Amino acid sequence: MTAQPTLSRRDFLKTAGVGAAAVTATCVLGSQASPALASGPASENGWAMLIDTTRCTGCQSCALACKEVKSRPNPTVEPTALSSEAYTFIDLRPQADSEATINVKRQCMHCQHPACVSACTVGALRKTADGPVTYDDKKCIGCRYCQYACPFGVPTYDWNNPLGLIHKCDLCVQRLAEGERPACVASCPAGALHFGRRTDMIAQARARIRSNQRRYVDKVYGEHEAGGTSMLYLSGVPFSQLGLPELGEQTISHQAEAVMAKTPLVAASVATLATGLYWLLKRRDLKLNEAQVTLPQEDSHGH
Amino acid sequence: MATNLNIEQPSSSAAVPLLNRRMAMALLGLMVLVGGLAGIIRLFAGLGRTTALIDAYPWGIWIGFDFTLIAFAGAGFTMAGLVHVLHQHKYHDAVRPAILAGLAGYVAVLLLLVLDLGRPDRFYHFIFFWNIHSPLFEISWCVLLYTTVLLLEVSPFLLERINRPVSEKLLRVSHGIMPVVAVVGVTLSSLHQSTLGTLYLNMPHRLHALWYSPALPVLFFVSSIMAGLCLATLAYGGASYVLRRPAKRAIVDGLLRLAGWLALIYLALKLGDLLVSGELALIWSAGAYSAWWWLEMSLGLILPLALLFIPALRRRPWTPVVAPLLLLFGVMMNRFNATMFGQILQPEVSYSPHLLEWLSTIGIIGAAVMAWLLGVRFLAIFEQKKAAHE
Ligand code: SF4
Ligand code: SF4
Ligand code: SF4
Repeated sequence: MTAQPTLSRRDFLKTAGVGAAAVTATCVLGSQASPALASGPASENGWAMLIDTTRCTGCQSCALACKEVKSRPNPTVEPTALSSEAYTFIDLRPQADSEATINVKRQCMHCQHPACVSACTVGALRKTADGPVTYDDKKCIGCRYCQYACPFGVPTYDWNNPLGLIHKCDLCVQRLAEGERPACVASCPAGALHFGRRTDMIAQARARIRSNQRRYVDKVYGEHEAGGTSMLYLSGVPFSQLGLPELGEQTISHQAEAVMAKTPLVAASVATLATGLYWLLKRRDLKLNEAQVTLPQEDSHGH
Repeated sequence: MATNLNIEQPSSSAAVPLLNRRMAMALLGLMVLVGGLAGIIRLFAGLGRTTALIDAYPWGIWIGFDFTLIAFAGAGFTMAGLVHVLHQHKYHDAVRPAILAGLAGYVAVLLLLVLDLGRPDRFYHFIFFWNIHSPLFEISWCVLLYTTVLLLEVSPFLLERINRPVSEKLLRVSHGIMPVVAVVGVTLSSLHQSTLGTLYLNMPHRLHALWYSPALPVLFFVSSIMAGLCLATLAYGGASYVLRRPAKRAIVDGLLRLAGWLALIYLALKLGDLLVSGELALIWSAGAYSAWWWLEMSLGLILPLALLFIPALRRRPWTPVVAPLLLLFGVMMNRFNATMFGQILQPEVSYSPHLLEWLSTIGIIGAAVMAWLLGVRFLAIFEQKKAAHE
């Protein structure tokens, strides 16, 4: 019985040691939480694309050019949705009062603060300082969390491949490195796709709206949506008719990132609290036991 | 004292239950066999041919059961915390069945996750490639580390069965580090049980407002403790039944009282959250979403609360089994609502699980139950020592 209090102290020291180790470990982990990956300031001057839906004729040149440059299967089949076979497609949206469709080129929006990048389990998706949101097919584990985080339904999985991966537009980052424009932009015969620095593209969009107020609604989609995107859209009808989601100016992942940033704090608090309670309650138990030892008659404890 | 008699050896009069036990094992074995086969087919044929998953619906019942099982397996950290950290020694006998259930649950979780991964061959990548912003990254690490903790916590059950000098020594070591292991386990569990809620914070555009809430981490954490207490009650009752020992009334009642209070807190948090965000009206006005919400809340929370808090119902002999089962159902519905039924989809999108998804899920859960039963049967599931020095 007499050995017990020292045992408790040793236990406490051990437990406290682990508590401290946990705190240190989590703080080290926390200090590595450089915001560069997801929530850091995205360059306002990264590459961007201006998509003028009023000029798109739906000729499919861009969609097929993309398939070719990305070596997708069925290179001559015009895609009708994003998939592992097509990183872009023209959404032909019927209009109530006219035969003609409104043609909306869809692809990854290359968000300024991409939720897919924030969510990706292994950091396979990254926002580069130059604008493109890239994907590392050597890292991806195929968890498909990015598909849930992306508000535009962009990442697609290669379902027919037993070792399938995620597929999406990467803004032709390879061509950019070689000083070329993305394949889709280069292939567009109608002048619907423009490529340049984001600030320039926004300025150009604004100038177009100003000079032709009957052609365009007064809004550049992507300037602020979900914290801003590198893909910017002009439209002649309200954007709700284009099938682009209505999103606020907040980034999608701001709440999750705020909670995740508290991880070291939560770990340290729980470890400290648990250690403290362990020690306090153990001491209380020992005191109770000692009290019982001094009262040998006490027998109310039996089962 | 009589209630504590050690009835370890099956008596000769137990022929009938033994037969039933064999049949149960055979049935479980069949489930495991078929499920294992389904799993192997999935691994070689790929997700497209063996699941109903599509780009607009990339997570199905595997993920639903996965997140459910993690909450259920909270029995391990809840009971280790209650007894080894908070020194509530009256629950001592209920710790080991719960920890064993926790280990079986987490192993099942890992198996299901591997089936669900698009690249199962890369399941370990999170160890080398980090993204500290990602809830799934944190969950992966915590599940890995916590499964290790569970293995350490289960090791004495085996060591006590081996009468060798080595195992004596190892037992002493394991006894010495147990408080530390328990604290680490509680910490890791608090982290990933709540982070499972954080996971959904990255889907504000997809998860219906009846479930989406900044309070999700707290809701997931509280409900995992509640589920843990419920599974611990059932595991204790089940282990007592299997080993033909009378379950102690005080333990069952105590655990159920705790579970009841947790359920009350959980209900208050869930309703309070909707009230604060001004979305309470959605429980009537959101069509199918409202219906799923009511299924979760009525059958899975309000009814069991009534069973636990209305004395006339509380006294019924079936309440200690039915009430925790209903609460577990409620937590399962909650995880499924967050993963599947509460997701906002385009009207043309639907998902009805492929047969292979069902078979593999049933097989893995069957394997967990079987492993637990075998553990109860052959490991030291009710500590011997106490009886020795009493
Ligand atoms: S559109 Fe989707 S996939 Fe593309 S960067 Fe944004 S979040 Fe990521
Ligand atoms: S599927 Fe791949 S890219 Fe998408 S979140 Fe998972 S690991 Fe990242
Ligand atoms: S930028 Fe490149 S990858 Fe993206 S849609 Fe255009 S051609 Fe395809």
